[in-house]
Amino acid sequence: MYRFFWRVVKAEALKKHRTTFHSKLVYFSMLIWPILTFAVAYFTYKPFKLSAGAEKVGYLNDNNLVIFILIGYIAHMFFHSLVQSAWGFSSERFWGTLELIYLSPASRLAFVLGNAISSLFENVWLFIIFAIMMFQFYGELYFPGIGLTVIGTITLIIPAIAWGMFLNALFLFSRDTRILFTILEEPMELFGGVKLPVAIFPLWAKIISYIFPLTYSIKILRRIFLKGEELVQLLPILALISLVTLIMIIITILLLKSGEKYAKKTGNMALF
Amino acid sequence: MRTRILYATFKRNFIIQRRAYPLEFFIGKILSAFYTVLTAYFMYNLLFKGQLNDSFSEFTGTSDYMSYVILGGGIYLFVVGTFLNVSRSLITEMRTGTIDSLMIAPFDRVGYFFGNMLQQTFTTSMEFLLAIIISIPFGINLTGINIPATILAFLISLVAYFGMSLILAAGMLYFRDTYISQNTVFLAILLLCGITYPIEYLPQWVQYISHIIPVTTSLNMIRNSVILGMGIPEQLNNFGYLMILAILYSVIGFKLLKRIEKIALENNLA
Repeated sequence: MYRFFWRVVKAEALKKHRTTFHSKLVYFSMLIWPILTFAVAYFTYKPFKLSAGAEKVGYLNDNNLVIFILIGYIAHMFFHSLVQSAWGFSSERFWGTLELIYLSPASRLAFVLGNAISSLFENVWLFIIFAIMMFQFYGELYFPGIGLTVIGTITLIIPAIAWGMFLNALFLFSRDTRILFTILEEPMELFGGVKLPVAIFPLWAKIISYIFPLTYSIKILRRIFLKGEELVQLLPILALISLVTLIMIIITILLLKSGEKYAKKTGNMALF
Repeated sequence: MRTRILYATFKRNFIIQRRAYPLEFFIGKILSAFYTVLTAYFMYNLLFKGQLNDSFSEFTGTSDYMSYVILGGGIYLFVVGTFLNVSRSLITEMRTGTIDSLMIAPFDRVGYFFGNMLQQTFTTSMEFLLAIIISIPFGINLTGINIPATILAFLISLVAYFGMSLILAAGMLYFRDTYISQNTVFLAILLLCGITYPIEYLPQWVQYISHIIPVTTSLNMIRNSVILGMGIPEQLNNFGYLMILAILYSVIGFKLLKRIEKIALENNLA
């Protein structure tokens, strides 16, 4: 049973890879777009006196601004690629392949997991290489040791995959995915704290911020790599991100079950 | 003949927009502009407490950052709107299967593209007005506006955006792609044309590229007219330069399209 689950994950990941990498143009979306977006964010800071910002966010200065934004964009790439992929995933309904998937005995959870994993690693590797080069160039990144580096990476990858699974399930049963895309894509960049620290937001904006798991991941990464915090200081936020991830996985399972139940009863694949 | 084609395209596009895309595109674009303004507002008021570098007013002639960004975001709406509707027009015909009948009919290209352009200008103007109204609480200041200069700057800008969109249309038709080309162009404009910051912050060699993209001069003129209240005589050089760019882009765009249309049609029918 367990082996069968991973076979479905692998098969879906491979299918996703083959449908995405059919053209060299795909490298534009993987590398050129994130670099352009990152450059826009960097130059957006230019009109301001950074010393004034340091009053609110103590660790922000001229030397680590690039690192501050890069950390935000790396994390954003992880989550963003999954919003994009979930949007593409909804085309299973238009192609008529969703019915076939439901006729097969494949685990639904394995299906959405395979798709999420594939999109994640396909989309981020090129930008990660770019980011490493930038880190080397600017050389202001604090190395917290292997343990905390691994923890930081895990707190980025696992919530991102859970977010991807949740979105895949959501987009799978939605009649109108465009509006979901509008609601989820752009606000994530602003409210997730990619360009700006969430700490400066007013209360209403902070409440929206904490809906997006990206906010927690960015916070943890900046606290590890910019502020140099220890594991003990990070424990509360690590517990919080684990809880958020767990809730997302539970909602995904419930969505998949209720969507399929509804489809079986009514013959309609659009739950909402 | 030309006017009839223009009117027919205008009317058809309205019907398509009203029936096929009720509100999503409209809401999506308004939200985009809103997030741009909100980001600028948080940055300016909450993070930096209104403290700008002296270089900003040196480059722009104003210290009104919010009006600067709001106008940039609003004009960006127009650029995106023109590209989405005019550039994609022929490839959309191809995708919906109407390009063959369109090409067989003795349709006039100029009337067809102007029809597309006018329809989108009307829709985007509504979005732009709404975006400006939403931006009032965020601090846009229109008290110093020079109305004749603003209107003229805006009209020449529309011709320039139209020319740019024709070139993009040719590219889209040739590569049969809209997703990669349009998004790359949108991001390049955001980076190079001074939508949220003056281009003088970019490296010198990049600024040369910025100056040959009409959006840069267009934004300068509109900001000069709206924020600084500059009149037409004071901006004659800019007006002339943008006019030349607009004509150049339009001529190249039409010529390119004419050539690529043939290739695309042959491939499509093959």
